[in-house]
Amino acid sequence: MTGAVLLLAAAALPSGPLDFKARDMRIEPQDRRVVLDGDVHLSRDDLNVTGEHAVAEYAKEQRAPPRRPRGRKEASDAIVGGQSVERFTVIGNVHVQRGSRTADGEHGVVDVKGQTLVLTGTAQTPPIVRDGSETLSGERILLRLDSEDVDVVRPKVVLRRSLAEEGQPVPVKVEADHLLLLQARRLARFTDDVIVRRGDAVVRSPRMEARYDGEGQLTKLELRGGVDVRQGERRATGQNADYDAKARTLVLVGDPKLYDQGDVLTGDRIDLALDSKEVHVERARGRLRPEAHKGERGAP
Amino acid sequence: MGSQNASAISGVMALALATACGNAVSPQISPISTPADAPDLSLQGVALARLSEGRIVARGTADRLDYQRAGARLQASRGGGVIQPEPGSRLAALGSVRFVADRVDGEIANRKGVASGAVRVDAERGDVARTERIYYDGDFLRSDTRVAAAGPGYRVEGSGLLARTDGSVIQLTDGVKGQLQMESRP
Repeated sequence: MTGAVLLLAAAALPSGPLDFKARDMRIEPQDRRVVLDGDVHLSRDDLNVTGEHAVAEYAKEQRAPPRRPRGRKEASDAIVGGQSVERFTVIGNVHVQRGSRTADGEHGVVDVKGQTLVLTGTAQTPPIVRDGSETLSGERILLRLDSEDVDVVRPKVVLRRSLAEEGQPVPVKVEADHLLLLQARRLARFTDDVIVRRGDAVVRSPRMEARYDGEGQLTKLELRGGVDVRQGERRATGQNADYDAKARTLVLVGDPKLYDQGDVLTGDRIDLALDSKEVHVERARGRLRPEAHKGERGAP
Repeated sequence: MGSQNASAISGVMALALATACGNAVSPQISPISTPADAPDLSLQGVALARLSEGRIVARGTADRLDYQRAGARLQASRGGGVIQPEPGSRLAALGSVRFVADRVDGEIANRKGVASGAVRVDAERGDVARTERIYYDGDFLRSDTRVAAAGPGYRVEGSGLLARTDGSVIQLTDGVKGQLQMESRP
């Protein structure tokens, strides 16, 4: 599901000079910072950040600057000075590009020591990460620069390609209070009020983990801690559920129950096919109300 | 970071130099010139110090210094100086600031001047700035020539400069590019 987004952060941001361009540069030695204004471009290796303004803040500790011996020719790639920027903030139409992925927001902060890039926006224009047709937005997106993890507060994920569906893929939208993408484990961990929407199906759960294969394609969703599934008039609950992305079936376990037009079924396990809407209940038991199904195709 | 600060100083220094020159005792007085635009006073091998409340706040040297009483004009060749910023001032973070220029022209009464030709400013902190020309006008310093500066944690080139002599504004303008040193990872 979020496989492509998982690949967002490719490699750690190495230390060294950060290239910049801007219209103006204001130097504030007393405040230990530099302000860039107008069409700001910042780049370091494959990371490119643009915005309207930027503030680079220098580390507080004072280190003695290296003195070049007199007469020695200045090397163009010499390390610039003995102080360094510990944080830079980019404001206004912030655009981040790293490899093929992009991110946008109104405000971005790079913590060089912490190796993080935090993007925020407004209620109208939240920060967003794009990879091809897939998008991920949230209130706050933290991109780790030293690992490949992404941390999102109140994520809203719209994924189209990862389900590997035949024909027209059905978009899957996920909302939660928090999302942590762990690239090394090919895992996306959603927590707190997770809501998954796919077509007319809505699944709610306190937490969910999405697992991916090596190509970034979703293989499985694991919902834990109480699952509630609604699809049309049908509702199913269970303690846990696994969604097989290839088969597009949801398997409920842990006292699973199915509620459908007055019928109540329980069993050891309930399999729901989200496309065909077929249901399979293992070791089924429960209460059926045939009168509720009169008029249905195939009903007596 | 403060190279532009230091650049700003050069204008002040030019003024200081001029002011001091008006009262200076010259070590060597040139022969009286006859042309109309000849200086009223011409000094060679000038060295001066400016005091404020018993403290040396600036020192300067010049190979030659000409002064015209009309318009209170000053012209120095191969001038240089050192400024000691007031403790606690915006410039204090730079430490002492040294500047040199091939030529300095100033109008003392109008508080105007221009330093030109290989203008270079060095701050004690490690900042270095170079440009070809800097104008001094009242409290402002401006340059419309390329400015290259480097110092602790930065290297930058700009197409122009705007600065206040008190250090409250130091700005490279009209298109800048350079590098900022990022902190090494622990």
